[in-house]
Amino acid sequence: MKPETLLFSKTHEWVHVETDSTGAKVATIGISAFALEALTDLVYIELPKVGRTLKTGEAFGEIESVKAVSDLYSPVDGAVVATHDSLANELESLPSDPYGNGWLVKIKLSDETALQELMDYAAYQKQCAEEGH
Amino acid sequence: METWRLIESPPGRGDWNMAVDAALMESVAAGGACCLRFYTWSEPTVSLGYFQEYAARQTHPASAACPLVRRATGGGAIVHDRELTYSVVVPADHPLVSPPPELYQVLHRTLVAALAEWHICAALCDDSSHVPVAEEPFLCFQRRASGDVILGGAKIGGSAQRRRRGAILQHGSVLLARSLAAPELPGLAELGGKLIQAAELGQAWRAHLAHDGMIDWQSALLTESESQQASQIAHETYRGADWTFRR
Repeated sequence: MKPETLLFSKTHEWVHVETDSTGAKVATIGISAFALEALTDLVYIELPKVGRTLKTGEAFGEIESVKAVSDLYSPVDGAVVATHDSLANELESLPSDPYGNGWLVKIKLSDETALQELMDYAAYQKQCAEEGH
Repeated sequence: METWRLIESPPGRGDWNMAVDAALMESVAAGGACCLRFYTWSEPTVSLGYFQEYAARQTHPASAACPLVRRATGGGAIVHDRELTYSVVVPADHPLVSPPPELYQVLHRTLVAALAEWHICAALCDDSSHVPVAEEPFLCFQRRASGDVILGGAKIGGSAQRRRRGAILQHGSVLLARSLAAPELPGLAELGGKLIQAAELGQAWRAHLAHDGMIDWQSALLTESESQQASQIAHETYRGADWTFRR
């Protein structure tokens, strides 16, 4: 996916929303290239179990780089319907494809309100520039 | 100049020390001032990196009798004994974390400068070689990362961060002397020939940090609210089996 087609949270998660075969909205969540660059060498990741219900802003996982453990935050409300479990064994490849094979979880939306708070790519780039990334 | 709180804690248990750092993180995330805390440990204590497996401590029999606490930060295990430990907590948007490695760099380069007052010539590690996770040694001080503080080829200072929305915690250790619970790790006494007390190193370090980081120190104690929160976090998290044995 191209980042220009995604939405972004202030905490550097990206969101791509699709409609599944039942008509439900499902958000695919990942970490932005900007955040991954700041994290540097990745060591571990912990993702939630399928079925867990998340509120917007709730921590759903953790990622460890060589020097820091960072929380991952849900940008939406909903239930986890899939997790990218194999990522734990190929973390070094995450920065090379953050918006494709770097997806972390898929969340079936229970409420679409939070999507309105997310930024488009241009606004997110502006935030990153202000943060000095 | 920016005013930071300077907290010099008495020796504490592992669960209390980690809980205080967590409480300070919540305090800063809620809008509190940046803080620097120096602390030591009431007894030799092993702290396990957040993602390390508890069973891995079996690989280090010298520290088997020490109490253990799991940190919120990553990296390898540390035997906290004859050392100075510090924590720094700043807001997530603080200039010292843009880019994020800057906070490591400022703490470590000022530590090197402080040690020079004792004519100890430490340096920052520029080793960027990648060691597979499974092959990393159990002990943090046997691992190497760019920016670690090195003396005579041995690591004597290292740090790790926890990043949460609103605040960043960085804590780290400086080995003052070899510990019987980690006899493979020399400290400043063995490598530099100087037995430096934790308090005097802290004093020199914070002077260099004030100059480098344009910081004005304001001596402080934990607030009543922070103490209560630390007690609660120690009880609910750091003393709990769910936390300690989570991996």
